[in-house]
Amino acid sequence: MGANMQLLIEQILNGLAMGSIYAIITLGLALVYGVMRILHVAHASVYTVGAYAGVFIFQTTGSLALAFLGSMLLCAILGVLIERLVYFPLLKHPPYVPLIASIAVMLTIEEVLRLLAGPQILTFTAKLPFPDVNLGGIHLSSTLIAIYVITIAILLFLWWLTTKTEIGLAMRATSQDMAIAGAQGINSHYIVSLTFVIGSAIAAIGGILVGIYYNQVYPTMGAVPAYKTLALIVVGGMGSVPGAVIAALLLGLAETLLIGYLNVPFPRDALAFVAMIGVLVWRSEGLMGSK
Amino acid sequence: MSDLLLEVKNLAIHFGGLHAVDGVDFNIKRGEILGLLGPNGAGKTVTFNLISGVYKPTSGEIWFDGKRIDGLPPYAIAALGLGRTFQIVKPFPTLSVLDNVLVARGVTRYPNAASLWTSWRSRKEAQAAMALLERVGLADLAKRKAGLLPLGNLRRLEIARALAVGHKLLLLDESFSGLRHEEIAKLETLIRSIRADGITVLLIEHNMRVAMGLSDRIVVMEYGKKLAEGTPEEIQRDERVIEAYLGRKGEANAS
Amino acid sequence: MSGYVITILTQIVIQAIVVCGLNVIVGYAGQISLGHAAFFGIGAYSAALLTTQAGLSFWTALPLVLLICAVCGLLLGLPSLRLKEDFLAITTIGINFIVQAMFLYVPFFGGALGISGIPRISMFGEPLRGAHFLYLCLACLAVVASLCWLFTRMFAGLACFALREEESAASSMGISPVRFKLLAFMLGTMIAGLGGSLYAHYMRFVSADDFSFPLSIAFLAMLVVGGMGTLLGPIIGALILGALPEVFRPLADFRILFYALILLLMIRFQPGGILGESSLIRKRLLPQFLGGQK
Repeated sequence: MGANMQLLIEQILNGLAMGSIYAIITLGLALVYGVMRILHVAHASVYTVGAYAGVFIFQTTGSLALAFLGSMLLCAILGVLIERLVYFPLLKHPPYVPLIASIAVMLTIEEVLRLLAGPQILTFTAKLPFPDVNLGGIHLSSTLIAIYVITIAILLFLWWLTTKTEIGLAMRATSQDMAIAGAQGINSHYIVSLTFVIGSAIAAIGGILVGIYYNQVYPTMGAVPAYKTLALIVVGGMGSVPGAVIAALLLGLAETLLIGYLNVPFPRDALAFVAMIGVLVWRSEGLMGSK
Repeated sequence: MSDLLLEVKNLAIHFGGLHAVDGVDFNIKRGEILGLLGPNGAGKTVTFNLISGVYKPTSGEIWFDGKRIDGLPPYAIAALGLGRTFQIVKPFPTLSVLDNVLVARGVTRYPNAASLWTSWRSRKEAQAAMALLERVGLADLAKRKAGLLPLGNLRRLEIARALAVGHKLLLLDESFSGLRHEEIAKLETLIRSIRADGITVLLIEHNMRVAMGLSDRIVVMEYGKKLAEGTPEEIQRDERVIEAYLGRKGEANAS
Repeated sequence: MSGYVITILTQIVIQAIVVCGLNVIVGYAGQISLGHAAFFGIGAYSAALLTTQAGLSFWTALPLVLLICAVCGLLLGLPSLRLKEDFLAITTIGINFIVQAMFLYVPFFGGALGISGIPRISMFGEPLRGAHFLYLCLACLAVVASLCWLFTRMFAGLACFALREEESAASSMGISPVRFKLLAFMLGTMIAGLGGSLYAHYMRFVSADDFSFPLSIAFLAMLVVGGMGTLLGPIIGALILGALPEVFRPLADFRILFYALILLLMIRFQPGGILGESSLIRKRLLPQFLGGQK
């Protein structure tokens, strides 16, 4: 296999990994938007907390399993607190109010992390319990394999949850219309909080995976994903989880290939928004959104 | 100048698979009160929305005062002298009742771009708006914030605003809904006085007694199509109409 | 007044001007704009280029700066016609990133190095410094605030309010959403451009970093804290959120945390703003001053 071909394949694999990570983060955002119609920008800081919790638990206990579980628990609690203390009371106000509140929350969490753990970049050297694979000269690290496998596992879990369980049905009903769901006897506030729990726990997983993949954990690591993931849920069609996942994968590939491989001189972080505007011009409800 | 103020020809709108309005024809003569009746889901409000420009028809034509208006945006149709009320009232909540009417007066008072940059707080304007409020009986609430008003008053505000806009045709969407006895009588008187001023009225109404009492003619819709058309007496005797309302006795006897 | 106070006040006044512009878009016309910093930047860069490359003075460049910002406002206001609330919000965020990327990557705008060497503003042959420059900014703020006040008294302003309250009802009363939304955007961005121009001549150096998304949020936060849709709200908001970081300076490392917490608490408990309808100030303090009306 030629060197160029090898490079291309490696970049595609990297792009898919990036896309998977975007997908994991965006999932929580899409789920929350689906049930509450709130742009939960602070989700990115929950993800950062997940990364920090993961690295600290791992460094103290040496167990990755504990790191994952402890981090997921912590983030789930954090997510519900944000929902109950900040978002729910602000529902009756115009949408820019919870949006600014969300940004204030994100800033607060970032600063608390910076003050507690310091602004420096922490390393997160861990080996995920997956094999390294060599396929015809292309090396896939265990982290890469882990990202693919875990992402697929999360997607399968969500698919099972939303289509095969009562809870999932309740979630879908609530996302269609909270009032009607309430009339059907569904406790929509409980469902909303549950959605935050699930979304935040997934964010924690994302945070740890990113921390290990790039071997970096720092307070502002959520800043860039925060706004990109907003663009992604628009592209996917607000509240459409499959749409957001597809958009995330495509963005990961696009960013890596266009800019990393083809060296197109375009600002990487603006790509998400340009793509978003392109999609909106074509279909004003996003790729898989409904009017 | 033709006798017919509004002509609806083969009007239809499809929302995906749903044919909300499916080939409806009717006309309204100048100066008459036409009642648009029909059971829930017949397509009456959708028809209103088509006439006032909120929706664009899938097919058919709408002619207003000799001009074709289907497909025009609501603000263009308003400028031609067609005013409407909304079934779910839409006041401007943080503006005062008087200011609500002043907004509506804008369509006739500020016809060109240059005039938009003149003050809207003139005495003349306030007097004209107050006159409208007096007509609907809201004059003493002129300074109150519209968002604080109870439903009955909000319906009257809707009419005052529609009057300011609709100097030729008024579309009234269930204006009697949720009103008390005395309020209903007052509103009937008001609508008759509006017609006496030469303004044509098209009204949707579920209250049968009111609809039969006010309308010169009636058009009944069902499932998006025109079921029957005629004078109130003719409609009351029409078998198909009675059939359509069967099982909805509560509404037919509504006070 | 010490040089330090003058510096802080100048920044606050310039920000107040920009937030007045945001108030027209968001407060008067009810449109979302999370990309206002982009127009602040377009104004600043336009002024910078016109005065350094084309040799114009602040005064002769100003009409052009306003025109450029108006055109950009018109273009970037077009999405608001087609998109609903949340889509629009995110699109305006995107505008921030795209405009900033343009400043950074298109060589015409000086790239990462930005544009330097912007001259001071001269009046009657004298370059304005320190307190004199502050007076000019205050004068501009007064002009902008008066224009906004006048706008609320014209029917164009009333039409925007109606649009904000109930777009479909306003439309059925002859008010064209297209016309008035675009009008509001243009006015808002022109005012932001004025602020940008003052900023460019004040800092004498502009770069893409100065006009990022967090700044847009800061502007919106100032507007919300002060009271959206009110006349003095933008000014109060700019004053409070501009002065806070300085007031907290002694807290050194905890500055930003306190700023974020105050913003969070304000937004959580007084989303209407200080001068807003249901704020504590209006309910408790003002009646004391005005002898308890309402």
